[in-house]
Parts: sequence; C-alpha cells; structure tokens
Amino acid sequence: MIKTWELDPNFKYEILKEPGGEHLTACFQCSTCTLGCPLTEIIPTYNPRRMIQMSLLGMRNEVLSNPDLWVCLICQTCTARCPQDVQIADLLGAIRRIAEREEETGKLKISSVRPSFDKAFMHQIQKYGRLYDMGLAMEYYKVKEGSFIKGMMAMSKDYKKFGMRMFKKGKMGVKSMFPEKVKDREVMRKIFERMGAEKK
Amino acid sequence: MSNLKYAYFPGCPSESTAIDQDMSVKAVFERLGVELEEMEDWNCCGASEVEDPEIVYALNARNLAIAEKKGLNIMTPCSICYYNLQRSNKVLRENEELRKKIHSIDSSLTYNGGVEVKHVVDALVNDIGIEEISSKVQKKVNVKVAPYYGCYMGRPPLTAFDDPDAPILMDRLIEVIGGEVVPFDYRKAKCCGGPLMMTVPDIAFKMARDILEGAKNAGADCIVLACPLCGMMLDAKQEDIEEAFGIKIGLPVLYITQLLGLALGISPDKLGLNKNVVDTKAIVGRVV
Ligand code: SF4
Ligand code: SF4
Repeated sequence: MIKTWELDPNFKYEILKEPGGEHLTACFQCSTCTLGCPLTEIIPTYNPRRMIQMSLLGMRNEVLSNPDLWVCLICQTCTARCPQDVQIADLLGAIRRIAEREEETGKLKISSVRPSFDKAFMHQIQKYGRLYDMGLAMEYYKVKEGSFIKGMMAMSKDYKKFGMRMFKKGKMGVKSMFPEKVKDREVMRKIFERMGAEKK
Repeated sequence: MSNLKYAYFPGCPSESTAIDQDMSVKAVFERLGVELEEMEDWNCCGASEVEDPEIVYALNARNLAIAEKKGLNIMTPCSICYYNLQRSNKVLRENEELRKKIHSIDSSLTYNGGVEVKHVVDALVNDIGIEEISSKVQKKVNVKVAPYYGCYMGRPPLTAFDDPDAPILMDRLIEVIGGEVVPFDYRKAKCCGGPLMMTVPDIAFKMARDILEGAKNAGADCIVLACPLCGMMLDAKQEDIEEAFGIKIGLPVLYITQLLGLALGISPDKLGLNKNVVDTKAIVGRVV
C-alpha cells in the first residue's frame, strides 16, 4: 500500500540530477524493460518498471532500501529495448549511488556487499591506475568478513581451487602478487577526488 | 592492409586472466599485416564497478588523449573496455561543458574528439574486412561453434556495432574459416552473469550455466567469444559451475582470435591455446 503522507515529491528531481538518471520522467510504464530482463528468470519478482514507477511516485525509502537494486547485471537489454530511451541500466546505477550516499550519512543500511566490492575496485584504480586483482580481493574480503584474518580465510576457501587452476595455466603467478601501475598516478587521485567530491 | 594501424588498448586482464586473448590478438593482427602500437601508460577504463559515468568519462578522457596525441584510432579486445572508451568518446565529443570540466582537473585529460574506438571484432570485420581475411586463410576449422557475444557488442544503442538480440559479426568470421555455427538464438547476446561473480555468485552461476548448457545442447564443440569477463565466467569458472550444480559440461571456450589464428596458420602456442582452462586440444586437432 502506498502511504501518501510518506511520499517524497523531490525524489524524482534528486534522480534526474544524478548522472545516468536524466531520463527518468520519460517512462510511460509499458513494462518492456521488465519483460526482457534476464534476471526475471531467476528472481520472478524482479521488476525495473516497478522501481521506476515507485521512484516517480516518490517512494524514496522503499526504492533505496530495495535489495533488487543491487542485483542488476548492467546487461543493457532494458536500455536497448525501451521505447522511451529511459536508459534504465544507467538509471538504476544513479539510484544505487544515491543509496550509497544515504548509507554514508548513516540514514540507510544496505544489506548487499556490492557497494563494498565497487569501492574496493575503485580504490585500486585510484591507487594504481590499473586493476590490481590481489589488492581488490584482499580489501573486499576484509570488509565483507569483518576482519583481515577472517577475510583471508574466506578468500582462500572460495579461491583455492580457482587459484591453482589459474596458476597451472600461467594466468596467475608471482607477477600477479604485485600491482601494475601507471606512471601518472597523481591524476587518478585527482579524478576521483574532483568528480566524487562535488556530489556530496 | 599495410596502411591500417591502431593504438592498442589491452585492458587490465591482458597480462593475467586473459593473457591468451592478448597473445592471440597480437598474433592475428601481425599475420594480417595490421600494426598495433600499445598505448603508452594507459589506465583502467573503470570496468562495471565505477558506476559514476562522469568518473568513467574522466578516466577515459586520459586514454583517448593518449591515442589522439599519436594520431591513431583505438582498438581494444575487451567488450567492457570498449563500452567505456566508446561511450566516453561519444559523450565527450558532444558535450563541451563536460570536456572543459574534465580538462580543468588535469591537462593530461584534454581530449579534442579526434579518435575512433573499435572493438576487436568490429576492427576485424569492418576495417580489415572478411575478404581480406579470407585471402589469408590457410586451414579449415572443422568445428561446430556456439558464437557468444555477450552484452556490449550490440548494446546499448549509443555504442553498439552489432544487433542487440541477434548479432552476426562473429558468425561471419567463423563461417569464412570453415566453421559451422550452431543455432544459439537469444543466448548469443544474453549476459554471462560476470558482473555479479564476486557479489551474488549464485545468480552469476545460474546465468553462466544457461549459456554453457545452451551451447552444449545445440551440439557445439566449443564456445567462441571476445570478452575477458565472459571468458572468466565460461572458461575459468566452468569447473566451479559444474561442481555447484552437479553437472558435466566440459566445453572448450576460445577467444575468436584464437580460432581465427589457427585458420590463419599461426601455431597454437603463439595463440595461447595451452592457457585456456578447459583443454582445447580437441579443437586444435580439428583445424587442418
Ligand atoms: S521500457 Fe522504458 S518506458 Fe517502458 S516501462 Fe521500462 S523504462 Fe518505462
Ligand atoms: S540491465 Fe539490469 S535491469 Fe536491465 S535487463 Fe539487464 S539485468 Fe535487467
């Protein structure tokens, strides 16, 4: 049931301002996005059209705390098929970033581990300019499991066989223990600092 | 073809998990007489994890600027790098305000819009051309192939260079080297689950299982693809998927440049065919 007194009429403007969210109000609720989404085979209740409608109505809390926000594959099927060019894959990303900021200010608790993964990934680029797989895995597992030791244990459980396989094929070795780095790392730091800071 | 030359953007997995793709791309382009000059000091494109498009544009403004200084167009073998480089290219060309904003961060991010970005499959079919490739084919690939395109060759419309639902460019490459394309319908362009591999592995595995079983049921001897993340899911993780669902797949997964390289007479070792996780010997043996 929609509690009209809890609706936030500003929510749609908040999304429209977020890069990727610009086309929200073009949606005419045809459901093409949901019908083509491959996730619905696995999660029958997954429904991007509904998330858009709830956003347009201003159901801010419901949308930002919806766990389905964090399972989108960014496969772009919805975006390719939408007759209104809503660019749903980017739009969901914009809503995820609003949710992440909400969590940073303590107003929301996100149950998904995806924000921690994305952050750990971004830290690698910020530091090295390239993806450092080991650094990413170590940081992500540490945050996910709550401590460095627990993280290392969970990681070796999940990745023991996989790591051996890759090692045998020469795809992971001593070289992968160390990060590849771009020479100009200062500019990486500046990009994240400048682009990230403005939106707070 | 001697006048074609690209700035090569290898992408982060090129020295580790997708080293086989990197080796085969270089070998195939060398055989075709097309020069690749690796971009000096390129940086990560942002992958799927940098969700803020403006950060993606800034990261890739630097890459585009590096190629622009050389006066070369970019070619990349990774579908995600392609998507990020190309959308940045299109958006930066159109949006002067954004260009200025990014330029104000650092002068190395100054890009003036003079570069084209090509995915390896696009470069092979549309720049080099099927006819040219056909004239260099030495061997016939007697293999049934499931061509797997994944998400970013045909989607989203801004950056697509093939059909969103029924892509065909790799089919044409497979046919010209004598391979048989099995009917692989909508699975050709259905997501492999890769983006959720680390955060919601059970969904990622279900997505990948559908592609693998679909290929097997279609009678394919192997899957052919052109993206390191798809390669990770379908090849490197195949054993984990078999274990998780108690099934047996055992399907070799090759990069399109590996299969093409065999037809062009390049040795399997040079194409990194001993590095694919599922053994590829059965496929190599059928290229004569
Ligand atoms: S396909 Fe586009 S217009 Fe139709 S419901 Fe989805 S977002 Fe709205
Ligand atoms: S991008 Fe996300 S919402 Fe859109 S079709 Fe793919 S999984 Fe579904």
